[in-house]
Amino acid sequence: MNSTAARGSDALHKDFAWRYMLMGAVMSVMPILIIFQMVRIQTNPAHVEYLRQQSSTYSGMVQTIIPPRGEIYDRWGHLLAGNKTVYEVGIELSQVRNPNTIALALSTLLGLDYNFVFTAASQEASENAVYAVVANNVSKEQIDQLAELKDKVEEAYMGRANDPSLRGVVWYPKLARSYPEKEMGSNLLGFVNREGKGFFGVEEQYNNLLAGNPKTLWKSFDPNQVELPPELPEGASLVLTIDRAIQAAMEDVIDRAIETHGAESGTIVVVDPRSGEIMAMATTPRIDLNEYERQLGRYADGTPFNRAISQAYETGSVFKVLTMAAALDSGTVRPETTFVDTGIFEIGGTYIYNWNGGAWGPQDMTGCMRHSLNVCMAWLATQMKAKTFYDYMQAFGIGHLTGVDMAGENPGRLKLPGDEDWYDADLGTNSFGQGVSATPLQMATAISAVANDGVMMTPHIVHSIVYKGYQYEIERRVSGRPISPQTARELTEMLAVSLEVESSDALVSGYRVAGKTGTGEIPTPFGYTSNQTNASFVGWGPVDDIRFVVYVWLEKPQSSIWGSEVAAPVFREAVEELVVLLNLPPDDVRAQLQGK
Amino acid sequence: MDRVQSLTQAYSQAPWRKQLQMMGLFLLVVVFAAIVAGIYLSVTARAAEIGRQIQSLQSKIEDVEQTNSDLMSQLAFITSAEQMRSRALSMGFRPIELAEPVFLPVPEYVERQPVILAPAPAPVVPSTPPLPAEYTESLFVWLQRQIDRSTFLFFEVQE
Repeated sequence: MNSTAARGSDALHKDFAWRYMLMGAVMSVMPILIIFQMVRIQTNPAHVEYLRQQSSTYSGMVQTIIPPRGEIYDRWGHLLAGNKTVYEVGIELSQVRNPNTIALALSTLLGLDYNFVFTAASQEASENAVYAVVANNVSKEQIDQLAELKDKVEEAYMGRANDPSLRGVVWYPKLARSYPEKEMGSNLLGFVNREGKGFFGVEEQYNNLLAGNPKTLWKSFDPNQVELPPELPEGASLVLTIDRAIQAAMEDVIDRAIETHGAESGTIVVVDPRSGEIMAMATTPRIDLNEYERQLGRYADGTPFNRAISQAYETGSVFKVLTMAAALDSGTVRPETTFVDTGIFEIGGTYIYNWNGGAWGPQDMTGCMRHSLNVCMAWLATQMKAKTFYDYMQAFGIGHLTGVDMAGENPGRLKLPGDEDWYDADLGTNSFGQGVSATPLQMATAISAVANDGVMMTPHIVHSIVYKGYQYEIERRVSGRPISPQTARELTEMLAVSLEVESSDALVSGYRVAGKTGTGEIPTPFGYTSNQTNASFVGWGPVDDIRFVVYVWLEKPQSSIWGSEVAAPVFREAVEELVVLLNLPPDDVRAQLQGK
Repeated sequence: MDRVQSLTQAYSQAPWRKQLQMMGLFLLVVVFAAIVAGIYLSVTARAAEIGRQIQSLQSKIEDVEQTNSDLMSQLAFITSAEQMRSRALSMGFRPIELAEPVFLPVPEYVERQPVILAPAPAPVVPSTPPLPAEYTESLFVWLQRQIDRSTFLFFEVQE
C-alpha cells in the first residue's frame, strides 16, 4: 500500500516538475529583464533626459513668487500708487474647439483684434506651442462678462465638435500697479511697466525697495511634498513729503496759468526750506499713469517727463538773488552801498545793458534788486572777482545735482573759469542768469538757503519708508551753508521791501513775502531771442517765520514776455492756495496768537 | 536503527501540523504586512489630504491678499482728490477764500503730523549680561545681604 502510494507520489512529482521549472524560469527571467531594462535606460543619455523631462513636467513646476510692490502714500496717508487685480487672458491651444467663437467673443468683450485672436487660437498645439497670451491687464468686470458668456456657450452647446465653443480660453489673476489719483503727481511718481520695472520719478529711484526680492522655487504637485512658501517680505512702502491737496491745487494753478498766458509749459515747485521737503511739484505735460502706454506720446520730441528736475534752462533775473547773496556775504557790498547805474557795463569786450536799456542812476542794493539791474549785477560780479563769484555759485549747488531722491535729475550747466567755453564776459552775463542753466528744483534749493538762515537742505520727496513692519524716517540732510544767517535775513528783507515798493503782483494780502522775478531770454543757434522768454518768479514767506519757497516757471508765455507780469501773479495765486492748505494764519493773526 | 527511526517518527510532528504551522506563519507575515500597509496608507492619505488643504489655503491667502490690495485701490479711487472735490461741489460746498478762515488759539494744540503706518524701529541698545552681585559687592555687604534674607525668610515662616 505504502509502495503504491510512493509510486503515485513520484509520478505526480514528475508530472508537475516541468511546470515548476517553467514557473521558476519565468520568475527568473522577469527580474533579469527588469534589470536589463533598468541598465538600458540608465545608460542611454537621451532616454535619461527624456524621462527626467517627463518627470519634471508632471511632478511640479518652477514658480517665481513676486512679492506685492510696495505702496506710495502722500504725507497724510492718501494712496498715490497701489496694486489692483487684473487678469491675463490666454488660450490653452490643446483645448481649443472653435477658434472663430474665441476670436469673436474676445474681440467683442475685450476689444481685441479679431484676426490676431483667430490666428493665435488656430495654432496647432505642440511641444513648442502650448499657450498663447492674447490680453493683459484685463479688468475684473470684463472677466466676469467673459466667464458668464463662456458658461452660457458651454451650457448651450456642451462643447460638441463644430459648434460654438469657448473652450481653451483661460484667465489668471495678477497684481498690477494702479494710480488712484490718475494724472495728479504723475511727473514725480513715474510709472511701472508690465514687467514690474519702475520708470522715472520715485518709481524708478526706489524701484529695488518697492519691488522687493522675487524668489524662484520648485513647487511640487505631490501633496505629500507640499511645503510652506518662504516668508517673502513685501516691497517697502513709501510715505512721500508731498501733500495731495497742495499738489492738486498747484497743478490747477499752473494749468490755469498756461491757459491764460498761452505758455508752452509750466512748473511750480513748493519746498519747505527748513527741512528740504518737497510739498508739491506741479509741471506739464502730465499723463494718467494707469494709461501710460497710450499717453507716453505726450513726451515725444525730447520733452522731459518731469521738467522740474530734468529741464535746465537759463533762468534770467531770479539768479540775481544768488549773485546778491554772494556779494553781501563776501563783504563786497552792504545793502546800503550805492551803485551809480550808467546803463552800460563793459566786460571781456561785451557790453551789458539793463532789461529796458535805460540808466537808473544812483541805486542802493535794494534798488538794484527792485529794478532788476543787469549792469549792477555785472558790476557786483567783477567787484567780487570770478573766483569768489563762482565759489559761491558752486556752494549754492549750481551746476551740481541737488541729490533729490528722484530719477532723471539734470545738473544744469555752470561754466567755470578754465573751461574751454568760458570767457571773461561770462562772469558778467552769468551774474544776471544768462549763460548759466539750472532746473527749477535747483533754483528752489539754492534760494532755500536764503529763506532758511543760510542753511541749504538737501531736497527730498520721501518722508519715510515702511519695511518689515517698521517705519523708518528719512533724516534731513544739510547740503551746505553757502551764506551766513545775517546775509540771508538781510537779503530776505531787501527782497520783501522790493516787492512792497514795486507793488508787485506777487504780493499776498495778509502775508509778507520776499521774492524776485526773472525773465530769461532763450538761447538759439543764432543768439538770444527777445520775443520768446522763460518767465520765472521765486518767492518765500511769511518773512517773519518762513515756511515755504515757491518757484514758478512759465515757458514761452504769449500774453507777455515779462516774469513780473506773467509769473508773479501765478506765485500770488499759488501762495493764496498754499497758506490756506497749510493752515497758516495771516501775519497779524499769527502775531496775536503768539502774543507778540 | 529501527528504534531510532521509530523514535524519530514518534516525536516528529504530523505533516498536516507542519503545513498548518507554515500556513500560520505565512498568514502572520501577510497580516503583519497588511497592517503595516494599512497604517502606511492611512498616514499617507491623511498627509496628502492635509497637503491638499495647505495648497488650497495658500491659494486662498493669495486670493485674499489680491482682493485686499484691490479693495484698497478701489477705496483710493473713490476717495481721490478729484472725486472728493466733485462730490463736495455737488453737495454745495465751495473752495474757501483766503480771508475766510477764522483762527482760534487752542491750548496744547499739536500740529498735524505725517501719517504713521507702522511703529518706528526700537533703538538698538547693546545688551550686556548683568553681573551677579557677588562680583561687585564687598564681603561685608554680601554677609549683610545673607543675614537680611535669612531674617526675612525666618519671619515669613513664622507668619
